[in-house]
Amino acid sequence: MKKEKQVDRPAATGPSAVNVTLRRFELSDVEAMMAWASDPQVAAFCRWDPYESTAPLLAYLRDTVLPHPWFRAICLPGDGENGRPVGAISVMPAGDPKRAELGYVLARAHWGKGVATAAVKRTVATVFSEVPGLERVEALVDVANPASQRVLEKAGFTREAVLRKYCFIKGKVKDRVMFSFIDTDPLVE
Amino acid sequence: MAEVTLRRFELSDVDAMMAWASDPQVAAFCRWDPYESTEPLLAFIRDAVLPHPWFRAICLAGDGEDGRPVGAISVTPTGDPCRAELGYVLARAHWGKGVATDAVKRTVATVFGEVQGLERVEALVDVDNPASQRVAEKAGFRREGVLRRHYWHKGRARDMVMYSFISSDPLPE
Repeated sequence: MKKEKQVDRPAATGPSAVNVTLRRFELSDVEAMMAWASDPQVAAFCRWDPYESTAPLLAYLRDTVLPHPWFRAICLPGDGENGRPVGAISVMPAGDPKRAELGYVLARAHWGKGVATAAVKRTVATVFSEVPGLERVEALVDVANPASQRVLEKAGFTREAVLRKYCFIKGKVKDRVMFSFIDTDPLVE
Repeated sequence: MAEVTLRRFELSDVDAMMAWASDPQVAAFCRWDPYESTEPLLAFIRDAVLPHPWFRAICLAGDGEDGRPVGAISVTPTGDPCRAELGYVLARAHWGKGVATDAVKRTVATVFGEVQGLERVEALVDVDNPASQRVAEKAGFRREGVLRRHYWHKGRARDMVMYSFISSDPLPE
């Protein structure tokens, strides 16, 4: 029987590549933000405690997010430019102009679908040209958070080291895994 | 094996300090440029060393309590109370004799008891500085990995080896 010819397919990283848009936050995003900011399961690996009301979250948006050098809302396609954010991603200067720390958070309803990975990929594709002098983006992930470690691996980060007893979070000393993406690393499709 | 004592610095140590602080080979891997006169060094002792939470002069055991320092070792707080960064520097005349290694061993043997809440002492060593890497390894530090382009040093991005000694690590012999 005649064998069917193999058709070349473009490389894909998963069932289908997720498309996200990253935009600046606005104060009106506070309600959407509450969806993840009030969730104890989301807050578990973060430095902050779940929010119980929108007032302190609004203050956080106004005082920390809006003036921040690089803080973006993660929005899904179909929601348009002003779509409700489903998470946040930020790149924070780390004391050295060449180096910054990545942080991201996602509402639980959107876990496991590649949304965070897509947001991280989009971030490393643009942040080096947007932040003058930046050469290294690093991310510190809890050793007990394999889902977040996979996000970074799939986005092309290099796992560099396990830093033992690295930081004090919510009353406990935690081991962290250090990942990095430097400006000469290849972008993952 | 060298034996050292660690003591607090005094302003009168400035001349001894010039021995290593003015040496370009010593300064090569350090954050600072070689000092050309004692005045800025005196200011450094006064403004940075004396008020520092943990900064010690490395003296050779045979020189007694008021011996001239041959180097310095410090444990500097970071943004996190559980973590501090080790730094050390030694006059070139005393390289290769185990002096720095002994100073680091003595430091990790005492600093956890002296600094409240400290759990981790880390040291970042340039990938191109194997002598300093060996000091950390012989003193019982664990090599955790290489942080790429982690540190901007004198105009160049450097890869740094991350070492750590945590409070529960065994002290080396």
